[in-house]
Amino acid sequence: MSDDERMDTGGDFEGGDYENDYLDPDTLNYENEDGENEEEGANNEIDETMIVESNAPQEGERQRTGKAAKPNEVRVTTPYMTKYERARVLGTRALQISMNAPVLVPVEGETDPLEIALKELAAKKVPLVIRRYLPDNSFEDWKVEELIIQE
Amino acid sequence: MFFLRELTHTILLHPSYFGAQLEDYLRQKLYEDVEGTCSGKHGYIISVITISDIGEGKIQPSTGQAKFKTTYTAIVMKPFKGEVVDGKVVNVNKMGFFAMVGPLQVFVSCHLTHGDMQYDPNASPPCYRSNDEVIQKDTKVRMQIVGCRVEANDIFAIGTIKKDFLGQIRED
Repeated sequence: MSDDERMDTGGDFEGGDYENDYLDPDTLNYENEDGENEEEGANNEIDETMIVESNAPQEGERQRTGKAAKPNEVRVTTPYMTKYERARVLGTRALQISMNAPVLVPVEGETDPLEIALKELAAKKVPLVIRRYLPDNSFEDWKVEELIIQE
Repeated sequence: MFFLRELTHTILLHPSYFGAQLEDYLRQKLYEDVEGTCSGKHGYIISVITISDIGEGKIQPSTGQAKFKTTYTAIVMKPFKGEVVDGKVVNVNKMGFFAMVGPLQVFVSCHLTHGDMQYDPNASPPCYRSNDEVIQKDTKVRMQIVGCRVEANDIFAIGTIKKDFLGQIRED
């Protein structure tokens, strides 16, 4: 899990130094995003409230600000999904799919949960929210669908 | 005594329930989980009145389950020392008798009955008898609670009928 992850944004996303020519073989063959858009409205409100945490404070530890726990209004962390978040999201989603969670993309005969999770991620249909904790225990909520995925 | 209380309950939801009916399922699960239970702190939870917040689900690491912290308002029943309650006798023995006040079990010792009340083991069913009262199974009695034993998930009370206007309740 990505619990130790630090959200260092310094110089992380200048663009340009990504190896764009590398394409993950798993995500290659999904040109069907257009066909699925009508489904999106129906599925969106389902379970968008599921939150995956990274760098969460211990149970019982108070928010340092003393205010009710709510996400920061101004989000300062990177808009790119880090490789740790990608791993955690894929792992969590694959685990859920393996436990019979409803799948939000056409499976097309796919049976491997991880492959289905990759397919959902490629189609931006993963119904999860990433909660990024900052060092002062405040946090930002990012939907998986709004994060930029590079590979 | 009955109270309206704001309570919280945590529900762990298996991934197979993630879907359009997620909220309905959570509500149903909340009713099933809490109604009829008892906690020493709050008393017996009789009924859920309103569900004020279902909360955001939080994914549990390594199990994939979502944890929802729900808050709801419920009617709770908590007995107090000195309270007068009506109940129905369920069991009579030589030590005294047990009565149920809704979900609460009250024990009335033979020492806390009127002086002239005697245990009659030969009657069928066994009963406590005095000049004008008979207490046997299914008799309705009015008791005053003199003490409560509170456990983590249960409450027992001790009652007395050794006061004016307590004892058997006559239908007529």
